[in-house]
Amino acid sequence: MALDLTMPVLVVDDYKTMIRIIRNLLKQLGFEDIDDAADGTEALEKMQQRKYGLVISDWNMEPMTGYELLKQVRSDSSLSKTPFIMVTAESKTENVIAAKKAGVNNYIVKPFNAQTLKGKIEAVFSD
Amino acid sequence: MADLKKENVARVIDFLQENKNRGGDVSLNDVMHLAEVMSGSMHDFLTTVKPAVTEELTVIAKEISRMKSEITSLRANDMRSSKIPDAGMELDAIVEATETATNTIMEAAEEIMGADASDAAAYHELVNGKMIEIFEACTFQDITGQRISKVVSTLNYIDERVTAFVNHLRITEDMEETGEETEEERRKRELILHGPQQGGEGVSQNDVDDMLNDPNFDIDSLFD
Repeated sequence: MALDLTMPVLVVDDYKTMIRIIRNLLKQLGFEDIDDAADGTEALEKMQQRKYGLVISDWNMEPMTGYELLKQVRSDSSLSKTPFIMVTAESKTENVIAAKKAGVNNYIVKPFNAQTLKGKIEAVFSD
Repeated sequence: MADLKKENVARVIDFLQENKNRGGDVSLNDVMHLAEVMSGSMHDFLTTVKPAVTEELTVIAKEISRMKSEITSLRANDMRSSKIPDAGMELDAIVEATETATNTIMEAAEEIMGADASDAAAYHELVNGKMIEIFEACTFQDITGQRISKVVSTLNYIDERVTAFVNHLRITEDMEETGEETEEERRKRELILHGPQQGGEGVSQNDVDDMLNDPNFDIDSLFD
């Protein structure tokens, strides 16, 4: 799967500031089509209406967490192949393992820098 | 014996009647008041019967009096009506100040990123102006630091009084009931919500990368 900078990217976070930061970083990386959602429920609705090339999601959100969103996406045959990166302050081993078991493509621990985001996106699309 | 029947028993009956009229809404103060009344009643009665029991009752009465003193020194009403709400307002102000500062800094950065650099002089002037805005926005740190100190003082105040109260009442950990899991606690457990870790507690990005990239990493063994 090649990295296509024109593909739509969905950023999911309940903090507008974090969405703004990730959005700006993605623009710097060359992405043009960036959408956002405030939690897993809104993200899932958007994903059922539009095909996204990448989802970048926080973990701790209400009502639907990023972890639940990941499991929903992987269990839906029309969405299951969507690349999914978790960007979260949840940095316990059990979180990383649970995300891996649920099928996450990459996992970024907050706080992170632009280089880490770039590296993880590239790694997802080079696999 | 006469005292027990007439005055003291009447006080106990009055108390129970009053409590019944309130629909059984009994406070800790009520219970201690009843205990004092009962203790006084029994004291008068038993003074004539058995002096050793009287001594025990005197000790109980003193203990009740001491507990009332401890509860008073806890200043629970002051905590509830003043200290805790004030601390909450300080935290709200911190959230607001950091949000305002972050927005100011991000707006400045976005304007610099989107600026036309073809006119070097104009671009230089814009960048200098935005840099000053960023420096000004960073002054939030001084004020939020002071607010956080006030919140920490409040937490210490509560901690000292509750700890003293627990120590004076000789409440040990094994006496505490294990409460039922709340809905919020259940959600946190099932959805693995720990929140941000303290420094050195969570795994690093390198650890995460190792776990994700190692095909031989035995995940299931950690779930046994």
